[in-house]
Amino acid sequence: MAYTFKGGIHVEEHKHTSKCETVTVPTPPVVKISMNQSIGAPAAPVVKKGDSVKIGQLIGDVPESALGCPVHSSVSGTVTGIEETRVTDGSIHKVVVIESDGENAVHESVTPFTGNIAELSRDEIIRRIRAAGITGMGGAAFPTYAKIKSAVGKAEYLIVNCAECEPFITADHRLLLEDADSVIAGVKILLRATGAPQAYIAIEDNKADAAKKVQKKLRGVDFITVKMLKTKYPQGDERQLIFALTGRELAAGKLPADAGCVIFNAATCAAVYRAFAEGMPLVRRTLTVSGDCVKTPSNLSVPVGTTASYLIEQCGGLTKTPEKLIAGGPMMGQAQWDPDMPTKKSTSSLLLLSADYSKKPATPAVCIRCGRCVKNCPMRLMPAYIASFVQKDDMENAEKYGAMSCVECGSCSYNCPGKVEIVQYIRVAKNHIRTEAARMKAAREASENK
Amino acid sequence: MNENIKNNAEKMPDLLCVSPSPHIKSTDTTRSIMIDVLIALIPAFAWGVYMMGLRALVIGLLSVICCVLFEAGVQFILHRPVTVSDCSAAVTGLIFAMNLPVTVPLWMPVVGSFFAIVVVKQLFGGIGKNIVNPALAARVFLFSAWAGQMSRFTAPGNPVSSLRITLGDVDAVTGATPLAALKNGVVPSATVGDMLIGNIGGSIGEVSAVLLLLGGVYLIVRRVITWHIPVAYLGSVALITFLFPQTGTGGMFMLYELMAGGLVLGAFFMATDYVTSPITPVGRLLFGVGCGGITVLIRYFGSYPEGVSFAILIMNLLVWYLDLAGMPKRFGAVGEKVSKK
Repeated sequence: MAYTFKGGIHVEEHKHTSKCETVTVPTPPVVKISMNQSIGAPAAPVVKKGDSVKIGQLIGDVPESALGCPVHSSVSGTVTGIEETRVTDGSIHKVVVIESDGENAVHESVTPFTGNIAELSRDEIIRRIRAAGITGMGGAAFPTYAKIKSAVGKAEYLIVNCAECEPFITADHRLLLEDADSVIAGVKILLRATGAPQAYIAIEDNKADAAKKVQKKLRGVDFITVKMLKTKYPQGDERQLIFALTGRELAAGKLPADAGCVIFNAATCAAVYRAFAEGMPLVRRTLTVSGDCVKTPSNLSVPVGTTASYLIEQCGGLTKTPEKLIAGGPMMGQAQWDPDMPTKKSTSSLLLLSADYSKKPATPAVCIRCGRCVKNCPMRLMPAYIASFVQKDDMENAEKYGAMSCVECGSCSYNCPGKVEIVQYIRVAKNHIRTEAARMKAAREASENK
Repeated sequence: MNENIKNNAEKMPDLLCVSPSPHIKSTDTTRSIMIDVLIALIPAFAWGVYMMGLRALVIGLLSVICCVLFEAGVQFILHRPVTVSDCSAAVTGLIFAMNLPVTVPLWMPVVGSFFAIVVVKQLFGGIGKNIVNPALAARVFLFSAWAGQMSRFTAPGNPVSSLRITLGDVDAVTGATPLAALKNGVVPSATVGDMLIGNIGGSIGEVSAVLLLLGGVYLIVRRVITWHIPVAYLGSVALITFLFPQTGTGGMFMLYELMAGGLVLGAFFMATDYVTSPITPVGRLLFGVGCGGITVLIRYFGSYPEGVSFAILIMNLLVWYLDLAGMPKRFGAVGEKVSKK
């Protein structure tokens, strides 16, 4: 019996690369490493133009007190500049540009941990995970050390998220098939760090081969169990994942720890393991390059900061003109405007989709009140009503109808026969409500200080 | 541009499209849904043509064409984008025609189409914005203005082939419908089997219960409509008529009431009209029960034999409140809910 949740949608999978072995790309001639790799404060560069750097060397740091992750060089070479540019999500941040010398020399700070992890204190494990710059690699990029801290003493279950419910992406699938040992070893470290007594490895049932493989490796380990999930979008959303596995509903604004859970992406677990076994900070990841415009869709192991154009080249180039370049999955990923955009620690895929995917009907977008968005909304909202409030600039009602509970999975927009960009209207509302709340707070503080 | 993509330079567009996610969409459109509704309506309409003659086909085509032309025309005059390609006007036209007796003079479908599309639909903002069902409002409008012509039904087995354009009534052998008999407190002469197949008098598209049911099941299987409204509507009518029969036994009376008049057509095709029905499951159930209750009240105590049109129109006005009442409980709103899993 596969675990699942209520609502959601069935999306064509497009998992063209699930049989493609991960290929390590030749070191790119140049990497552009954003200082904004995770939620929280961006890192401040600690290198300057002309410095020579090696793999694993610290290039950006965040003060201990702030939420954020240090950033390391992913190649060896020379820093040719620190640019201030727009990054994947549209915000402006510092980007360290490093020209590779092709030697891939590893920095001397990278040394394997040879001791017994079981003897390390919890704080020491967390300190090392933070120093390795590990962030969530599923997409949201929450700093892993902070997640562990939030779960200490609360987590009953550690959940490894291998749902990979977004179409096209197969990076985690390949990781489980090719390097399940690292994932499992990472889980063991994270169990010790969080204090959770048991772990679930949650895999959608379209990846039965991976599940079988992991299950085999787990023979004799009774505190880590593989759980099969029904293939449905958005199964990988943390709230739906927790509900499917534990039956607990996590309200908007609450952390998984409030439901006794802590969730890590499979790739994050493997990165944790490497941070100990090799002493290597998070400087590489596996991502899927796919879409109908790519000649050879592939799973690639790439240094953080590799540009999309270089990766497209590694996949044999383009077969037709793409309309969109998407960082992340097609349901929640962000459309990019620059083929030279650099990948980040959290970039799980690059998709090149032709105009075939965004055919528009001849008639204007209009809600015909079919109710599919209500039926599909995993958060059980009434998306059509929220969208229509936003169209009328009635943010008060948009908030009353639960705009802030929206997880932006896009199930509503996907199935809308009227082709209304419902989730985008809700994003507009959320943004407005947040800005307004911040403005009110600032005004209140200002009047109190008078 | 990076020299690594020199080879792809001609393939990579100068400008990439930046748009909000999701970047993939389902292939269902308003148009594909409306075409599904048309497909679902065809068996019952074809039966009407077979039973009542070629004139039924002419009325059907006439109102479809009029609805489409009026929609395009009014949108052109009001400088709105012309949206007839979404096929919603065609659906309105066909459903409206199926609600007419075959004997109506041919100017009536034209007047009705005008009222449905121009007054009820476009003047309220067009698709998605109208408050009441256009086809039903037009039917009730014609019924109020020309009650005689609108209740002149042919006896089964007497098709009308006359295509003569006339301002008055067309010659036809007329007879009482089962609904009228029930209203007068007598058991209809038609058998339950006749009513199931559609060997009875009535409007063009309402006579064959089984073919309407077939169309309704098609819509549910194709996920165009959900089961909530038809089941709640037919279920509540069945329950009330079974418990409080006017003539004969409860079971028999219930079957007659369910298949007489426009109930099956209304429950599957008109009460389920997206724009004028609730979008929440609970709202839809309440809507269906309300329609059923009002239909039976009118049939039992009103001065008209049929209550389906009025019942749906009245419930149309309450949709907003029904959606408020049916608002789903937000995920996590009840706090920690532990199921047995």
